[in-house]
Amino acid sequence: MIKLKIDNKSVEVPEGTSVMEAAKAAGIHIPAMCMDEELDHFTSCMLCLVKDATGRMFPSCSVAASGGMRITTDDEEIREGRRIALELLLSEHVGDCEAPCQLGCPAHMNIPLMNRLIAGGKWEESLRVVKRDIALPAVLGRICPAPCEGACHRKTVDEAVSICLLKRFVGDENDLHPWPVPALNGKRAAIVGAGPAGLAAAYYLRLKGVDAHLFDRAGKPGGQLRTAISHDILPEEVLDKEINTILETGVVFHGGVTVNDTFFDELKNSYDALVLATGNIDDLTKSFQLKGTPKGIEVNRETYETSEKGVFAIGNVIRSSRLAVRSVAQGKEAAFSVIQYLNDETIRGEPRMFNSRFGKLHDLEFAEYLKEANPARRHFPSADFSGFTPGEAIEEARRCMHCDCRAAGNCKLRIYSDNCQADQKRFQTTPRRAITKQIQTSGVVYEKEKCIKCGICVRLTKKYREKFGLTFIGRGFDVIIGIPFDESLDAALVQTAQMVARHCPTGALEIREMN
Amino acid sequence: MPYGVSGLNKEGMENTSRIVDRIIAEKGKEKKALISILQAIQKELNYLPKEALRHVGEHTGITPAEIISVATFYSQFRLRPAGEHMIKICVGTACHVKGSGQVYDAFARKFGLGEGETTDRKGQYTLEKVSCLGCCTLAPVVQIDQVTYGHVTTSQVDEILADFESRAGKKEEKKFRLADGTEIQGEIRIGLGSCCVASGSDEIRKAVETTVNSYGLKVKLKHVGCVGMCHQVPLVEIVPTEGEPTLYSRVKPEDVKDIVGKHFKPPGLFSRLKGKLLDSVEYIQTDAKWEGIERYALDVRDKPVSSFLGNQIPIATEYRGIINPLDIEEYKSRGGFRAIRRALLEMTPTEVVHELKESQIRGRGGAGFPSGIKWELVARHGDLQKYVVCNGDEGDPGAFMDRMLLESYPYRVIEGLIIGAYATGATKGFFYIRAEYPLAVRRIREALATCYRENLLGENILGSGFSFDAEIYEGAGAFVCGEETALLQSLMGNRGYPRIRPPFPAEKGYMGHPTLVNNVETLAQISFILREGAGLFNSIGTIHSKGTKVFALAGKVVRGGLIEVPMGTTIRQVIFEIGGGIANGRTFKAVQIGGPSGGCIPASLADTPIDFESLTEMGAMMGSGGLVVLDDSDCMVDIARFFLSFTQHESCGKCTFCRLGTRRMLDILEKVTQGKARREDLDELEKVALWTKKGSLCGLGKTAPNPVLSTLKYFREEYEAHLEGRCPTGKCTHLIKYQVNEKCIGCTLCAQVCPVNAIPFTPHEKHVIDTGVCIRCDACRPACPENAIDVF
Repeated sequence: MIKLKIDNKSVEVPEGTSVMEAAKAAGIHIPAMCMDEELDHFTSCMLCLVKDATGRMFPSCSVAASGGMRITTDDEEIREGRRIALELLLSEHVGDCEAPCQLGCPAHMNIPLMNRLIAGGKWEESLRVVKRDIALPAVLGRICPAPCEGACHRKTVDEAVSICLLKRFVGDENDLHPWPVPALNGKRAAIVGAGPAGLAAAYYLRLKGVDAHLFDRAGKPGGQLRTAISHDILPEEVLDKEINTILETGVVFHGGVTVNDTFFDELKNSYDALVLATGNIDDLTKSFQLKGTPKGIEVNRETYETSEKGVFAIGNVIRSSRLAVRSVAQGKEAAFSVIQYLNDETIRGEPRMFNSRFGKLHDLEFAEYLKEANPARRHFPSADFSGFTPGEAIEEARRCMHCDCRAAGNCKLRIYSDNCQADQKRFQTTPRRAITKQIQTSGVVYEKEKCIKCGICVRLTKKYREKFGLTFIGRGFDVIIGIPFDESLDAALVQTAQMVARHCPTGALEIREMN
Repeated sequence: MPYGVSGLNKEGMENTSRIVDRIIAEKGKEKKALISILQAIQKELNYLPKEALRHVGEHTGITPAEIISVATFYSQFRLRPAGEHMIKICVGTACHVKGSGQVYDAFARKFGLGEGETTDRKGQYTLEKVSCLGCCTLAPVVQIDQVTYGHVTTSQVDEILADFESRAGKKEEKKFRLADGTEIQGEIRIGLGSCCVASGSDEIRKAVETTVNSYGLKVKLKHVGCVGMCHQVPLVEIVPTEGEPTLYSRVKPEDVKDIVGKHFKPPGLFSRLKGKLLDSVEYIQTDAKWEGIERYALDVRDKPVSSFLGNQIPIATEYRGIINPLDIEEYKSRGGFRAIRRALLEMTPTEVVHELKESQIRGRGGAGFPSGIKWELVARHGDLQKYVVCNGDEGDPGAFMDRMLLESYPYRVIEGLIIGAYATGATKGFFYIRAEYPLAVRRIREALATCYRENLLGENILGSGFSFDAEIYEGAGAFVCGEETALLQSLMGNRGYPRIRPPFPAEKGYMGHPTLVNNVETLAQISFILREGAGLFNSIGTIHSKGTKVFALAGKVVRGGLIEVPMGTTIRQVIFEIGGGIANGRTFKAVQIGGPSGGCIPASLADTPIDFESLTEMGAMMGSGGLVVLDDSDCMVDIARFFLSFTQHESCGKCTFCRLGTRRMLDILEKVTQGKARREDLDELEKVALWTKKGSLCGLGKTAPNPVLSTLKYFREEYEAHLEGRCPTGKCTHLIKYQVNEKCIGCTLCAQVCPVNAIPFTPHEKHVIDTGVCIRCDACRPACPENAIDVF
């Protein structure tokens, strides 16, 4: 056994243990991407750099711990090194973590997932996905100008996927809130204003166990949705039905109540948190003594906190906008802040992960992207204001090209880039490579432009004696992981497909979901 | 990336299978044979057809993944057919600073090659950039098949091709018959080092043989290795039995008769007449189109030459110019193999290791690890199976001393390896030699055969009871294989991926056994240490760097060539006392030491002694021992870019910092040389450089940023000028313009050489360069007899 100190923690490990394993034994996690529990170290990603007492840096995965070592696994210099390593990897990593449509959506809705669920005929699941970010899909499916469709990669190929109508379809297909609501947790929040922002805030707070009370001047909830939009576009029964699904979760509506300064103070005293969503204000005297800007009440743009503790503001009261989806989005985001505030946590708002992005698709890539999509043209409903039939919805949803990365949720490159606040553009000094997709008949998808050349798949296919397997081709910057003799991916991965996909640290090799 | 073009018909495939079967039978089916199998296939089939590679996979234990990974790693291997003739354009450091990039472009234009194309439409020629042909003093150099052209300019492309084609099909002249040995009139020595051969010494040899034959002279004809005067090649030295020896440099074949005739009288009138007759016949046949280098004779005792030779201590290059590389008797008569006798017959292995430690010699491969300690580590290891490897994978684009040592002193290097094996208890040794060094491979192969015959190799060497075998392993083109762990991978038939040390090869090397890896130059100094004693060796040099170091001196120096100087000699002494100062009356600006791993030391620090520590302190490195002198016309940003393009190309791609760091540094440097960079880019350049140094896995990556960091340190103002869109030396083509000045006499020479017709043909009028069309190839400027073309 040998004794060493890692980040001032003493640890004792058997001889031959790597510094990384020794750190693990001491409960210290060192980031790494090219290490795999099934394989020997390879020393490629260099994320696991640590330093010894002399300040010398080395990769902890492949250096054995020795007695008396004093290792530092995290300091400013090491963090800088890791960040640069990640930024170098990101500079040639061509892929979108989240699809551009999702990033274009103010509510950040997981559109590609919704599309796939619709394509698979899974209505209820698709509604769950939509409602995670958008409280009023049937409503927005009628009035949203759909910034998501402007960002859709399919738009460069032919026409954008009809995302907005698909969302409407999901909203229309469901009568009630089809899943249980958690029990109340004893916290209470007042939401002033029952327009799209207020409704959304109340809904998400209630879904997190908060007793949510909506106050509005009008007798019925809906705000401008009820007053400013033609009934041809947004029929009242659609609005009522969707608002109802929110109220049915247990949100309490108090109609016909004018909130003035006195009542505002009363609400502050009787509720644990307060969300202002009163809509446009023309003069700041109506801002309840909260700090303001010429545009409205001043808030922290990430958290929606106002100048007063426990008071949050969203929607047109902070800045006038014609975009209902933005208000709905802020309602959801503010709910995160309120919960964090109620739980005495640091208020950060809705967490947003690092996103790798590559910009527009090139002509060469159309065919690659269409490999996974319905090649048909966009479907337009026959009549004005009408939506899709289930059959049409499925066909249209299948036009989605799966631009989101299959590894978005567990990609190590993304997670560490997020931790280190890496900047993908920093070292992007050359034009990006064109994206390719190799697809197994049943099994996995290989997108080599996402590969970080850690060689885990190469070593696994060798270990499990694939006839062809995967191998390093070329040298240096041009090295790629490829298949010997240009064989197909089917031939390359006969037994190990699922395994290599599971072990791939990024989204280069991923298991293909089957509908 | 498509690879392995097929296109063979059934017959072709059967033929391919037969060839591959034969090669496999010859080389073996184990993975360690893979590189030599691929080399043999390419030699016979011109490239590596997919069918051939599949056949290898099906008939050996080597997997398709291994075959492809190796075939695509080494630059020697081609997966597409090449043209009938290979045109190798040297883009080594010395050639680069003398304009080889433009020469390449000129050939590419000649063949109308587009982006990424290397073979002309007729499939006649394939262009290839090579990092160093090892004849830096002839820079820029172009080699077509076996013919080398030196001092090539962009406007000579047509002449060179015409000359090459005119040689094709010419019959080889009759071989030289040996004189009977009676009445020897003297000796004629012909240099057969790489520079000499490259500059045409083989032609000279033939001319001498013909002349001697036709005159019927009784002279001894002797082939000698490199004497280090590479700037004067080809060399012919006449040593008459009576009288002073005379050294002729830059000899042309047509001079040979005059030279020989001047010193030796033919025995009879008839022979003389015959000589005359042949003379006239040959004169008609000679195609004198190719205007090569200028010729003049000079006496070896002339001051500059004696200083060139005088300030040096030859240890690795002992008896240079005197001994015939392959004459074992001569080597013996000059003290050769005395060290082996002493070691094997009079000393125990421990005593040999001790002697080496006493000598304090440090590895000449670059990093300077004490060789004695390395030997001791291997010697002490309990494993019964041990190996020794001679690292001859010299890859520095501006250095060729390992090649010269292998070519000129094969026995000395072999002797070092045998002693190393004895001291460490190894029973098997390898010479890992770059594929680009065919002559070195041939000489070592012949020398090994001779050593076996003389019982210097094999069973029970010299009756000592010690047995040892050695063989050659040809590398396949990868600079990273100079790194010992990568070299061992390559030796085992893998991609040259380095791995982290420890474990060091001394504990876990070839096939997992303890392995001693020593550089060629280190091994070439072993016999001296054992023969003369550690004391003499360590009396030379500085406190921490003992002995001598061989350098390849090249660039803008008057006399380039190989030199061997004591450690601690200053840069100034090397450049001015040995190299004769800067050529063409220009000013000394900097010296690039250590190649891609080294750095640029400015003229102001010329008094730095050359030893391991001082060079590292200056931000350079001993590295390979390349020493390229730069003058005031060299752009330091361009030099940094040049080296980064080399290391970027040679990075194996295993670790993040080297694979991407070298590329990103290169990208930023290109931006700088194009005048598109901003100040922040320099900061980012420095950041990436520092982290590539700190974070890379092996020596290649850890030292690759040195050319950038050292130029940023000493020549930052030059970088800053580029930010403002200026290249102060007028080297960066994006930032310069060519213009005709008032001196123009309207001779049209510039218009004639311009490859893109940017200069209208206007006789007797002042010429005008259309800067929109001009490609800045620099063909017009040297063509102008009046110095009427300005660059700014």
